Amino acid sequence: MISRRSAIKTTTGVIAVSIINLRDARAADKVIKVGINLSFTGADGENATRIGNGAVIAFEEANAAKAVAGFTFQLVKLDDATATAGQYDPAQAATNARTMVSDKAYVAALGPQMSGAGKAMAPILSQGNLAIITPSSTNPDLTDPKFAQQYRPAGKAIYFRTVATDAFQGPNMANYMADTLKVKSIFVLDDSGAYGVGLSDAFQAQAEKRGIKLLGRDRLDPKAADYTPILTKIKSLNPQALFYGGVAQAGVKLAKQAYETIPDVIKAGGDGVYTVDLLNGAGFPAVEGWYATVAAPHVTEDPKAAKFSDRYFARFKQRPDDYTITCYTGAEVIIQAVKKVAASGKPVTRDAVRDAIQMVKLPDSMLGPIEFDENGDLRNKIISVFQIRKDATKPLDDPTAQYKYVGVAPIV
Amino acid sequence: MTSTDLLLQQVINGLSLGAMYSLLALGFTLVYGIAELINFAHFNVFMVGAMVAMLTLQGFGLVGQETILTGLPLVGTLLAGFAVAMLVCGGIGVGIERVLLRPLRGVKGPAAMITTIGVSYVLFNVVLLTLGSDAKNFPNPLPPIVWHIGGAVLRLREVLIWVIALALMAGLTYFVQYTRLGKAMRATAQDPEAARMMGVEVDRVVMTAFFLGSALAGACGMIFGLYYNLAKVDIGFAAGLRAFTAAVLGGIGNVPGAMLGGVVIGLIEAVSGQTIGTAWTDVIIFGLLVLVLIVRPAGLMGRLAPNKS
Repeated sequence: MISRRSAIKTTTGVIAVSIINLRDARAADKVIKVGINLSFTGADGENATRIGNGAVIAFEEANAAKAVAGFTFQLVKLDDATATAGQYDPAQAATNARTMVSDKAYVAALGPQMSGAGKAMAPILSQGNLAIITPSSTNPDLTDPKFAQQYRPAGKAIYFRTVATDAFQGPNMANYMADTLKVKSIFVLDDSGAYGVGLSDAFQAQAEKRGIKLLGRDRLDPKAADYTPILTKIKSLNPQALFYGGVAQAGVKLAKQAYETIPDVIKAGGDGVYTVDLLNGAGFPAVEGWYATVAAPHVTEDPKAAKFSDRYFARFKQRPDDYTITCYTGAEVIIQAVKKVAASGKPVTRDAVRDAIQMVKLPDSMLGPIEFDENGDLRNKIISVFQIRKDATKPLDDPTAQYKYVGVAPIV
Repeated sequence: MTSTDLLLQQVINGLSLGAMYSLLALGFTLVYGIAELINFAHFNVFMVGAMVAMLTLQGFGLVGQETILTGLPLVGTLLAGFAVAMLVCGGIGVGIERVLLRPLRGVKGPAAMITTIGVSYVLFNVVLLTLGSDAKNFPNPLPPIVWHIGGAVLRLREVLIWVIALALMAGLTYFVQYTRLGKAMRATAQDPEAARMMGVEVDRVVMTAFFLGSALAGACGMIFGLYYNLAKVDIGFAAGLRAFTAAVLGGIGNVPGAMLGGVVIGLIEAVSGQTIGTAWTDVIIFGLLVLVLIVRPAGLMGRLAPNKS
């Protein structure tokens, strides 16, 4: 047992040591903080880690290679999930945004994972002029000029994406259903979150436009355990397909119960059901056959990404998925922007970094050419479609092995 | 599927939900009846029950839905799952009462209730930190036996849940009505002062109430797992709130009332999901609760207690 006095001594010692370390770092290099806000705990936690590690590896490599002379990147993890929400919590996301804005050492940020978190963060980040690059939040409102008052009250675009949006993800999936799966009737569910509702709305509008008959639309409470009443209703309506817009919390329960109630109905969702949490929580055979989309080109099987995949595996003992690569690319954008600002001789402030991010051109990233329009959206938007097909030779909880790439969803 | 089949199917769904709500509601009502305390820790005792049951079944080597058992191994595994979950949860209930609430007995105000909220968070966070927050794949060893009644589907799982819930409720009713300790419980519920004067050991009675209520929550945790094949750290809140509502609807403190309340809420949940939409389920349940309480302030089966002061 440690006596109080020795405990005090140890603590003082630790503080002294860390101050010295800090001085060393300062003397050598200026530390630039980059926040990464994802839902590290809760229902989407495993995914968050896999995504966030893309940034970890990017900044580790940049620091090791001294990508920007005189500067060291420090990646600070911020978790926007809370125990009471069980998943991302917009209030926590807002708090994290304030934390970053109030500390001048933050010059840019990555995240958030979830659009609901993004809606809470964007206005705060806009006031602080802190640019954030999201690897996975796809709700269109966030970058839609129609909602500029709400999400960028200070004027300039601060919410950038290395993914496409649900304005493409939902409708393109509707096209895929109409063209490839020949679906004629559909039931649409959402999980009452910003992402889920937006995705389902966009899907539904295009599905109806394509002549798919809408048999009903309902909303799941992500905290409820039982979806059998609504699934029984869906069974009685006998749709050819079910579209679910939402994330894993409701998705896991939906997949389990849908497998028992409506096993023969085609089931599809967006990138919210492209997740290790679905494979773990619902498991096979319940998840077999589910379609999912990813709002980015599928590159993990691309030879260009193979080297990255190997480096990632060596570091984290797992394979990256597509949003790991969008996150890595987001980090590359930030590094590139800081480099530009530093090279120009101007001080590396968040204003300068934001302007630089807006102008960044990565012609040869793993995702293809990266360039942002004036709203922060990618100029080049691609939606990839996957289907869960059990591969017993690979780990059953590895999304890269169990989600089979089936093609690009036709653009609207 | 005809509309009759559909109604039948929703009744089957509703009864399964109702069985779970009833078991959970009994825990609220037993403790309230004896100690006049709303035990908010009950929410998460139930969740712990589901986790313990899951770990027990996994201890028998069951993983996910891949292992199907029949005959004696099935019965043995299920019994063991129920026994462990009920004992552990009963133990937690007794521990909460003995260590945290007994010193507060006689303290006026909401101190005891706040304590139970605190305990609820402690249980939640202990599970969160040890087992994690992801949805767990609860083992289900039940063979996929299905009966078709018209267009409706009845699964072995549902029948089993009803039978077990009914057996537990019958056992509880027998215990409360006919055993010595049960009579002591009823006496304490009516008037603790008088009961103590007549030689009833009130401490023991209170502890029994906590044990029984929490053990039922443990059983409910196991049933939840078997029904949904899922256990997750946040399952306590939604189910617990509905069950608490069931207890109030039936008349809190009243044992048959809790059972009735649970079934009523389960059926409402199923049928309203069919006819109006699941987004409205909570509105309907709580709206109905308010209506019932306006007409019958003591709940469906409760009697207004004489003023004890």
